[in-house]
Amino acid sequence: MLVAGRIFALGMLIAICVLIIVCMELAKKNLPTFRKIAGLDALPEMIGRAAEMGKPVHYTTGLGELNTNVASQLVAGLSVLSYVSELCAKLGVRVIYTVYQSQVMPIATELMKEAYTRAGKADEFNADDQVRYMSGEQFAYASAVQGIAERERPAANIMIGPFYAESMLFAETFYRIGSIQLAGTARGYQIPFFAVVCDYLLIAEEIYAAGAYVSKDAVLTGSIRGQDVGKFIALILILVGVILTLAGSNALIDVMKL
Amino acid sequence: MSIIMKKSVPIALVFITAVIFLLEYFVLPTELKSTVTMLQNWGIILTAFTLGFGAVNMIMFHGKQVSRRAKGQWPYSLWLLIILVLFTLVGVIMGATSTQYSWLYSSSYFALSATVYSSLGFYMTSGIYRALRAKNAESALLLIVGVIVLARNAPALAAQFPILVNMDSWLSSVPTTSAQRGIMIGAALGAIALGLRTMIGRETGFLGQTTEGEKGG
Repeated sequence: MLVAGRIFALGMLIAICVLIIVCMELAKKNLPTFRKIAGLDALPEMIGRAAEMGKPVHYTTGLGELNTNVASQLVAGLSVLSYVSELCAKLGVRVIYTVYQSQVMPIATELMKEAYTRAGKADEFNADDQVRYMSGEQFAYASAVQGIAERERPAANIMIGPFYAESMLFAETFYRIGSIQLAGTARGYQIPFFAVVCDYLLIAEEIYAAGAYVSKDAVLTGSIRGQDVGKFIALILILVGVILTLAGSNALIDVMKL
Repeated sequence: MSIIMKKSVPIALVFITAVIFLLEYFVLPTELKSTVTMLQNWGIILTAFTLGFGAVNMIMFHGKQVSRRAKGQWPYSLWLLIILVLFTLVGVIMGATSTQYSWLYSSSYFALSATVYSSLGFYMTSGIYRALRAKNAESALLLIVGVIVLARNAPALAAQFPILVNMDSWLSSVPTTSAQRGIMIGAALGAIALGLRTMIGRETGFLGQTTEGEKGG
């Protein structure tokens, strides 16, 4: 019935999901506290800077696609886009969202329109200007974003989603024009590039927590505690695995192969 | 649009689709395979359809720039519209697999794409120059590790000082791999949490944030 070799993974998935749901329920009674994420706390400051300078904010979710394994990173990026759009609307800052995959365009348009409506500035949202489809080709998209950076000189650049070789092109171009930058990705190879060039960085799991973090919703933040408990389980498994392997036993490896 | 159409229906669709894909991955029955293939085909059709939205968006934005003679922008916008029309005409009339279309693609986009990719080297050099400055303990460590890795990748230096190869090998397989695995575990747990929140309708940021009243539950 179950696919051999994936039974342990299924068991772990179910266990972690149950754990996260329990933590979300517990959070209703007792709001969890967790460490500050500097990059997300800096968003109002970044947008405030753009308002003072009278310049736009650029937002990208990188090469995010809805039908591939990076969809979760795209969803995480869109969650923050909603928050950023609302902040920008409140402060009268134009936010430009550049689109890589055309599928995302109607979602982003609707999402930003709602954010402007929540801020009471629905009439200020201009979809044709603020949600711009660039290209579905990696380097055409990268060049188009660089063009926007050079021509419109955004005061802030926010990049949350899956990034590939274009990460450095973006980060360096926006650095050169003096933009304050926040970058976040779960793609391990790009994290070092962002780390050395950008002002703020969200590392991997932080982008998934971003939506919950900015929403300040007790139940959502409870799920982040669930993630942390999951990390402890992973640590315990690693320790047990090391001890068993040193003792010459393959028991844990055999269980994981189930 | 009612809250049901705006929030409840999308969340229900996400939940059902996610459950189908999860079952297809973990459970054997092959009947799900055809459902998953069908859903994937729907995705491809939707993507193709939304390309039309993308084209309309581009034409509207760049058309406005040209008609307004937007400073510093309109010549690029005009060029983009010309190329858009040219590619569309050649693709539709001659076919996307025709020699003419292939020539147009490989002699314009392909060459430009390779050029932009190559320029990455300059951006990386500039980034590394700033990163490799020993301003504090962490950046000094980065500088030392960076110099070792760079030196190991210079064939003459690696041949002269074989210890560099061992040091680089240790750096790649021990601290770098451990850090990458830590990041991977964290990212996987984060993705599970986000997926779960999305499936049960708690993470609605990608649909536009809901009010507390709309969230329910």
